Amino acid sequence: MSAFFGPLDSDGRVPARQQTRVASFLISAHGALGRRFALALPLRLESAWQTELNAQFYNESEIVSLLLRATRWMPDLALGYLAAAWETAWFPAAADGIPDHALALAVDLATLAHAIHAGIRPAALLPVEANANDPFVMALRRVEFESGRLLQAQIIFLKGESLVPFRDAVSAALERRHAEVRKLWREILEGIDVSSDENGLKS
Amino acid sequence: MPFLSHGSYRIRYELDGPADAPAYVLVNGLTQYAELWTAYRDALVARRFRVATFDLLGQGESDKPALFISQDDQVAALHLLIQEVGDGPVFLSGISFGGLIALRYAVAHGGRLAGLVPMSCFAELPPQLFLLGNALRTGLILGGTSYLQDLLLPMNVSDQWLAPVLDKLDSVKRQGWLVNDVYALQNLMESFLDFQPLTPQLPSIGIPTMILNGEFDFLTPRALHETLRVQIPNSSLVIIPRAYHAFTLEKPALTADLLARFAEDVLAERWQGNKTVWIAPDEAGGDLVPFPTGYDHLRAVPVQGAIA
Repeated sequence: MSAFFGPLDSDGRVPARQQTRVASFLISAHGALGRRFALALPLRLESAWQTELNAQFYNESEIVSLLLRATRWMPDLALGYLAAAWETAWFPAAADGIPDHALALAVDLATLAHAIHAGIRPAALLPVEANANDPFVMALRRVEFESGRLLQAQIIFLKGESLVPFRDAVSAALERRHAEVRKLWREILEGIDVSSDENGLKS
Repeated sequence: MPFLSHGSYRIRYELDGPADAPAYVLVNGLTQYAELWTAYRDALVARRFRVATFDLLGQGESDKPALFISQDDQVAALHLLIQEVGDGPVFLSGISFGGLIALRYAVAHGGRLAGLVPMSCFAELPPQLFLLGNALRTGLILGGTSYLQDLLLPMNVSDQWLAPVLDKLDSVKRQGWLVNDVYALQNLMESFLDFQPLTPQLPSIGIPTMILNGEFDFLTPRALHETLRVQIPNSSLVIIPRAYHAFTLEKPALTADLLARFAEDVLAERWQGNKTVWIAPDEAGGDLVPFPTGYDHLRAVPVQGAIA
């Protein structure tokens, strides 16, 4: 098992099987975020912070669109049950310890988005030999880079004044979401012979 | 690869060298990871020291708390590691952010240490450093780890170090980019949001302390090290010639030699701090020379002036 995608083909491209599995997972995760942001987005914005909801929705949509077009797809029979497991994991689950149900759901969405944007680094799995001009390689780099920016809204919200009284509940919910997403990501990678390598430095 | 447990978090560490030897514990800077001390490990073990290196919480292979990393937690993790090295003499050294954590440790647990070596370090955030820190954090947020590295490299190492690697900077940056995550680096940087100056507590550090400062350190210039020298009673300031903020990366042989000599002098009871100012040799093994009497070591031109 390798710490990186591969073996690359002669054009420096990631194998189609790995592209298919990874892109499917990312589309599922970012698609789920996009749907939840869309549901939270009012037709007419009434508060300044809702502009960020709009941005998050369209950025998630862009990630999904990009991966749909940049991936070399191939048939993968396992995707049916894998996708069912992923979609179940993205279900809303109001954060424990926050009495205001709407706020608890908002915290849940923010923690899920934080875990996906911060915890999944697909570009870090590209070997140095990967072809920088390949659309899938470029797409993974873009997804990781944009995730780092999208993450800022979640950080500002979760560290914000309104959640200071619930800091322990927020931290617990966030660590739980991170653990869930990390586990799914690790399983995906193991299924395509890539080690998430939690206990060893990549080189 | 061994791990320590701090609450629900794991801290990756490595111990090398004879178990009965005096220990050196080395603390990483902000964007670093334990492997960057490899040359120090080899040099210090060869001089019969035990060497402990580790990844801070939020770095490398240690756990990365998702939202908050307090500096108190870093000190607590360091305390666990120092307990792990045994009961013998312990020398603690850290660079930059790691130097600050080492200072905090010395304030809280100085009795456990035989000596302290803060390098490229600071105890307060004057306006220049505060604004630089803010700008670096914004750089991380907008451009990711790679852009933060792009900002830090030219600030922190010399032209001589950069020139041969200029056409392969991506490979120089790659390991740091791989093992460090944006959110975790951001959490480390945001641990300064409620930072209180350590200066009033520095006089409580009673142990021998050698402060190392690069001659051309732009990020944490001489004045910040001068605060340490003036406030820590048994200290001396050693200026590393032609060195920048990250001289531990650029001059490992010289720096490891200075660390070993400091510890050997302390153990042999030859060490005299006296708040003196020295100039390090250019190469390992050379003589340290006292800063010329009557000249102001805070200036970049040879101005005669009073020295505190």
